[in-house]
Amino acid sequence: MTGLLLDQVAVRQHRFRLGPVSLEVAAGTVSALIGPNGAGKTTLLRAIAGFGPQPTGEIRLDGTRLNDLPPEKRRIGWVPAGLGLLPQRRVEENVRYGLSLRGDPEAREKAARWVDRLGLTRVAREYPARLSSGERQRTAIARALAVEPRLLLLDEPTSALDADAREELVRTVRELLTSERVPLLLVAHDAVTAIALADRIHLLHGGESRFDGPLADLEERPVDRFSARFLGFENVLAPETLASARPGALRDRLQAAAGPGGLAAPSRAIRIGGTGAGIEAELRAWRGRGRTVVVAADGLTLLGEAERGTPAPPVGSRVLVQLREEELRALPEEVEAAASAN
Amino acid sequence: MSLRARLATVSPTVLSGVLSASLLALFLLPLLALAEFATPAGIWKEGSDPQFWTALYATLLASSIAVGISLLLGVPLGYLLARKSFPGKSLVRSAVLLPVMVPHLVAGLALLLWVAPGTAVSRLASWAGVPLVYSIWAVVLVMVYVGASYTVLASELSFRRTDEETLEAARSLGATPTDAFLDVTLPTASRGILTGALLTWARGVSEIGAFLILAYAIYPAGPYTGGVTSPVSVYIYNLYGLNLRAAAAAATLLVLLALAAFLAVQIAERWGRLPWRRGEIGT
Repeated sequence: MTGLLLDQVAVRQHRFRLGPVSLEVAAGTVSALIGPNGAGKTTLLRAIAGFGPQPTGEIRLDGTRLNDLPPEKRRIGWVPAGLGLLPQRRVEENVRYGLSLRGDPEAREKAARWVDRLGLTRVAREYPARLSSGERQRTAIARALAVEPRLLLLDEPTSALDADAREELVRTVRELLTSERVPLLLVAHDAVTAIALADRIHLLHGGESRFDGPLADLEERPVDRFSARFLGFENVLAPETLASARPGALRDRLQAAAGPGGLAAPSRAIRIGGTGAGIEAELRAWRGRGRTVVVAADGLTLLGEAERGTPAPPVGSRVLVQLREEELRALPEEVEAAASAN
Repeated sequence: MSLRARLATVSPTVLSGVLSASLLALFLLPLLALAEFATPAGIWKEGSDPQFWTALYATLLASSIAVGISLLLGVPLGYLLARKSFPGKSLVRSAVLLPVMVPHLVAGLALLLWVAPGTAVSRLASWAGVPLVYSIWAVVLVMVYVGASYTVLASELSFRRTDEETLEAARSLGATPTDAFLDVTLPTASRGILTGALLTWARGVSEIGAFLILAYAIYPAGPYTGGVTSPVSVYIYNLYGLNLRAAAAAATLLVLLALAAFLAVQIAERWGRLPWRRGEIGT
């Protein structure tokens, strides 16, 4: 196959064990690695790029086994979280760097084209220290793509960016992927980036592979509390939280719906202001643009939503809560990680 | 009112200004006393004495060679200490610090016993045409011994600051380990290495203890082709025994020249300040 194939890849670093991880990133597709801090996401990317302890298992790119190749022979565009721009070289010199190392006679022209494609012409003569975070990120991506890699690895590309710059970078990366068809594996630290870019999600937790598949499948069935929070479930309740709440109608129905790892409930599953029978709760606050509410009952505080077009009850009043049980997601048992990568 | 509370009433800038000024006064006032005692006429007279310039030339020549050797041998050692782990590393680092800590008369004595005529080292050096006692090479040997540690330590500190991610990004772009060293590690460490070299040079110029044992006088040998002479520090020491005012005058000249050299380095650094550092804080 073309693209990246990891088969039972495992890395051992001090007390941390990553893997075995198996995943595929086909040409022209994007996979996002997600997971809490210390899950081993960066360790995995570095292992693919050829850094860190020698992994076991097989890393194949376009059918070629990479395990024994030094990093400079792998033809992988590796953009670490800190970007690794050469501080003493200007933007266009950074972009040209890989091409010059290969002795490309058209290095200058090619670098200029990449500088232009990533909208860096205005800052081409600047040093990295003078750039904005977004410009630095785009310089690193231009530099990585200029050498025509067979795979692009981005470690948290949007974590240092504000919402506007993130939006712009995501748009740029999408355009580039459409035209270049380079497979991309990225560490996404927010759902917006993952949703906007990734075809598949791979979830790591404490070095273990927990999920590999389309984003929609994970949204339908979150596999742990981290993935539920990551995907924007507003209420993620650990089993201990439910167990320590006061017995009552709300607690009992939530507990009945929960799995061994607890329960994930989007705010739309907890409605107030509808008609019909409901569970009595106290309205604690109104949030955001008016439809999100904070309600409390049985010692549990939850984010819910008010039905459209109903009168807004005042804070402190008693309201009736309707649970939409079809929106609740039971979570499987959490497997605690032995050690973290950091 | 506690001392801490009292301190809090003083502006930190004023406080550090006063303390810094005290130290600067300690540095500069004795030198002013030296210059005053030497008198302008005395300094002028000493400045016209070719013997002073010959001694200074011998010192500068030897210290330049010593800096070259220290860079050649010290930078790789600094690199190993910063970036590699190996058994006995603490022992190696202690060995590097040793010349900084032993009294320099002791260093001179040890070196003399090591290279004294008749020893294997001495025979080998004579065979190679670099006599190690009472020659310019003796001065170089002493300067490397007492000064190279600064180059090693400054290099080590600089190499430790190498950014791992920049190295990795360069490697993935096609840089071999040698390319990465030349393009990433060395440029970021160069400033620190140069500071270390400057300290090595200054330490060599200011040395006297070990010279008094090993290189009291330099006879024509090696690249230095003048008559019998001494490094400038020994020259001043000799004058001190004969004529205090002349010694003060020669010393003042040396101080002025050293001051001019340091100023020149700072101005050159400002002119050529690495443009990629301009956007950084504190530079």
